[in-house]
Amino acid sequence: MRHRVLLVVLTVLAMVLAACGSEGDGADTTQPDETPTTATAGETTTTSDEATATTGEPTEVPESVKIGAVVPLTGAFAGGGAQIERGYIYAVDAINEAGGVFVEEFDTELPLELDVRDDASDPNQTTSIMDELAGGDIVAYLGGFATPVHAAGSATAERNGIPYLGAATSTQALHEQGYEYFFSPFPKSPDMAVTVFEMLNGLIPEGERPLRVGIFQEATDWGEELGPLWVQEAENHGYEVVYHETYAPGTTDYTDLILGAQAAEVEALLSLPTPPDGFAIYQQMGELGWKPPFNLVVRAADVPTWNDLGQAGEGVVLSTPWHPALGYPGTEAVNERHLEELERPADPVVGSAYALIEILADAIERAGTLEHDAVRDAIAATDGLSTIIGPITFREDGTAAVPNPQMQRIGGAIELIWPADAATTDLTYPAP
Amino acid sequence: MRRSTGLVAAIVVLGIVVAVGLISESQHILTLTIQTMILAALASSWNILGGFAGQISLGHAAFFGIGALVTRELWLGGTALALAIAAAVAITAVAAAIVGVPILRFREIYFAIGTLALGVAVFITAGNLWPGISSLPAEALRNYEFTGPYFVALGVLVAAVVVSLWLKHSKVGLGMMTVRDDEEAAKATGVNAFAHKMIAFVVSASLAALAGSAFAYFSASYFPNFAFSVIWTFEAILVVFIGGLGTIVGPLLGSVFFIVGRDVLPANIGEFQVVLFGLLFMVVVLLLPGGLTEAATRLVTTTGRPSTKTTSDEPTATKGKEPT
Amino acid sequence: MTQLILQSVVSGVLVGGMYGLVALGLALAFGVLKVLDVAHGELLMLGGYASFFAFTFWGLDPFVSMPLVFVAMFGFGVVLYLVLFRYVTRTEVHTRIKNSLLISFGLVLVLQALAVRFFTADERTISTAYSLEALTIGPVRVPVVRLAGFVVAVVAALALEWLLFRTSFGRALRATSEDWTRAALTGVDVRRIYLIAFALSAALAAIAGSLVSLGYSISPSVGLGWTLKALIVVVLAGLGSMRGIIVAGIFLGLVESLASVWLGGQYREVVALMLFLVILSFRPHGFYGRAHA
Repeated sequence: MRHRVLLVVLTVLAMVLAACGSEGDGADTTQPDETPTTATAGETTTTSDEATATTGEPTEVPESVKIGAVVPLTGAFAGGGAQIERGYIYAVDAINEAGGVFVEEFDTELPLELDVRDDASDPNQTTSIMDELAGGDIVAYLGGFATPVHAAGSATAERNGIPYLGAATSTQALHEQGYEYFFSPFPKSPDMAVTVFEMLNGLIPEGERPLRVGIFQEATDWGEELGPLWVQEAENHGYEVVYHETYAPGTTDYTDLILGAQAAEVEALLSLPTPPDGFAIYQQMGELGWKPPFNLVVRAADVPTWNDLGQAGEGVVLSTPWHPALGYPGTEAVNERHLEELERPADPVVGSAYALIEILADAIERAGTLEHDAVRDAIAATDGLSTIIGPITFREDGTAAVPNPQMQRIGGAIELIWPADAATTDLTYPAP
Repeated sequence: MRRSTGLVAAIVVLGIVVAVGLISESQHILTLTIQTMILAALASSWNILGGFAGQISLGHAAFFGIGALVTRELWLGGTALALAIAAAVAITAVAAAIVGVPILRFREIYFAIGTLALGVAVFITAGNLWPGISSLPAEALRNYEFTGPYFVALGVLVAAVVVSLWLKHSKVGLGMMTVRDDEEAAKATGVNAFAHKMIAFVVSASLAALAGSAFAYFSASYFPNFAFSVIWTFEAILVVFIGGLGTIVGPLLGSVFFIVGRDVLPANIGEFQVVLFGLLFMVVVLLLPGGLTEAATRLVTTTGRPSTKTTSDEPTATKGKEPT
Repeated sequence: MTQLILQSVVSGVLVGGMYGLVALGLALAFGVLKVLDVAHGELLMLGGYASFFAFTFWGLDPFVSMPLVFVAMFGFGVVLYLVLFRYVTRTEVHTRIKNSLLISFGLVLVLQALAVRFFTADERTISTAYSLEALTIGPVRVPVVRLAGFVVAVVAALALEWLLFRTSFGRALRATSEDWTRAALTGVDVRRIYLIAFALSAALAAIAGSLVSLGYSISPSVGLGWTLKALIVVVLAGLGSMRGIIVAGIFLGLVESLASVWLGGQYREVVALMLFLVILSFRPHGFYGRAHA
């Protein structure tokens, strides 16, 4: 009997020791199998007792500029989270290799130090991790992937008074809360709704357009936002919505939706599914033997996933935040590294994440200090900064005009089809 | 442990918690403590139904969620917090009473699966009806103070513990435990099994709603259906078992252990911390049914005599006072 | 509209067959061992990944690799029993259910986390040349993959029936589920029965998993959803009953499908769950269940 008790106690002790053992040093905690961020001087910071200077009094010079990134590395959004993390790491490495960030207050260049934490796609964990990071002298937060975690994160950042940069969230609603610390240079619903129809009008001659529009609206806050916007923009651009149904995320059987759209003779199908729903929808459409000539899926699923889908996913247009073919500065290096490490060109969200670091680094340099409010103001004042996603100027609500390229799956590859001037190939229409 | 030692210990712990709430400036510590208290309250509420009355409910999150939802909606809509919480608890209690009538007729595993089904159904419905995130307004966020939520959470936890304590030493509680140990035998001795189960069900639901209210008051932003998520049920159960089913202190110990383990273990371990918890959980269920409380008690007792419980993992009800 | 209803019926029946298949293993474990394994879905998940990797790395069609997956996961089930569930079965039946519920819950956490670690959280699916093929019968399309899944489910159920009622092993199995002490007295090696039954249940979960990764998609977190479906089916059929499983599964599938047509996709699961509860109130032991569980 004592043995059993001992076993439990030992297990507990093991856990406690593990916790104590690693909590002491503030070594950077990137995942073990990722390339660790390189600091120019080659050292990892230990404890940092110095408070970030708020009064401008000379304090101990910190060894690095700490950034806290909370990213879903496991769970439902892990696929996108991996892309985000990669973008951050690439950008930090690139900046550090070029010498780091110049902080006027300490009159020296400092390396950026990324502290990436996994919130397991759980907004509750996002919040508590962000609170934990708040006690560790980070300059800013970097967001994860998908609206739920950003919604939680932006509110927490606001409460903690630390600037928060997020990619991979598209609800406009988040920007109408009056937040001062939340910045997201990422395509938002209003712009996205317009882009689809502009693209259709731009790429397809008048008589051949898929004027009958069908919408599979996901029952989430983003779905509720984008769905009606699509309806409105359809009307504005001369299209007609003939089928518009809502479904709960996680549904396994889309028969009724698909048949309904087919009966309504939908020619252009718009949807914004969370993984793996997009998958399931197209697979079942394949089984039922119907696919409209034009298919748009927002929320680009991960490349491996779409590749697995094969014929069913052929010709599907994915609305994404970025594509290497856009050719903004920095793209080549990112693409090269991505090709080396993953044997495919850079994924869509990598660019968006990369840009956030660029923006942050630039803001810190302009602010001249690591103090939260000063950095926040500098970010807000970003004006025409050249980044990997193009020139960035923030609007008052924290959004910015960013590209919203549309890609299409053709012959096993993902090609850029819009904007037309950067397109790698023409739109394949109707879909095969 | 003797009653007086327990009381002294409780007062000391309470004092420390209060002090932390008043003095600490660390957001991290305050947040973790609040989360621990909310979880402990939820776990205690589950313990009443599962530990005292022996009914394993897998849909407990539904009550937590209703409490959170009602409080949040009312409070953000301008109602005074106290009123909002009162309304939340009342509504949940009524809902539990209504639902309890059919569902408490199920026994054992049917009850477990039935409550699970109910919990999932409520979760989906909540998500459909309230898909948008619920955030405090920006002004409130910028001026957020932890003190309020902290002491509300503490109050909720104290309430849960007090109710548990009272129940455990009351005739009603005794009736529950009799039902737990053998429902047929209890009925044979004249105990109204259904009534006792219903009381446990409603009390447990009300306390869960209270915990949910604390959560709603504390959270900066979250999706309403999150409070209905089966994760809360699982965490509560995990915590109760690790701490010690049927004890008062069990849910508390378990929550502390759980939160400390989960949020303090470094991110490096990542998925493995879940693995460790899973393993620990299994170890506890198999080898140490009384959880950490039992372990602690055994270590403290020098005799270390073998347990009289061979197979059953539930504390058998005894007439008179139980050691906590 | 008729087409929609007919198609929904077909879809419902086909998916119901799948639910039945997943439930078969769970029913076996519960019927014989009196053990409730909520990690059943995780075993399904592992089977799905096994198929997926067999397909991706060795080009094996999932139906070809199915026997291999069956055997491999049978082995895994053996290990799982010896390491974990064996201890659960040492207790009396009453606490066994509770303990196994809890133990398997811990197992869910462990297996899911390990899966994320080793397989990543990406959704995977198997796309074969015939993945999108469908038979057209009148106004209705019958996807080949789902039909095959249904056939596998029925075959598995029949095979299980044959095993239970036509072999001496099956007789021993049934005796053990009725009353294991009495069975032991008549010379049945209860431990061996338990071991094989459990491993069999794992293997059944695994081939369901293969079908899932072919017809749907697989990720570390798919387990719980399928487990819940399986639980409902098992309870609907009647705990301890093997015969009605496929029927109960089909029933569930149909209810969901038709609910979707009339109430919209958002509430299909809710309707099914509510109906489940209603049925349970009137027939507390399921369609075919016996009075003792």
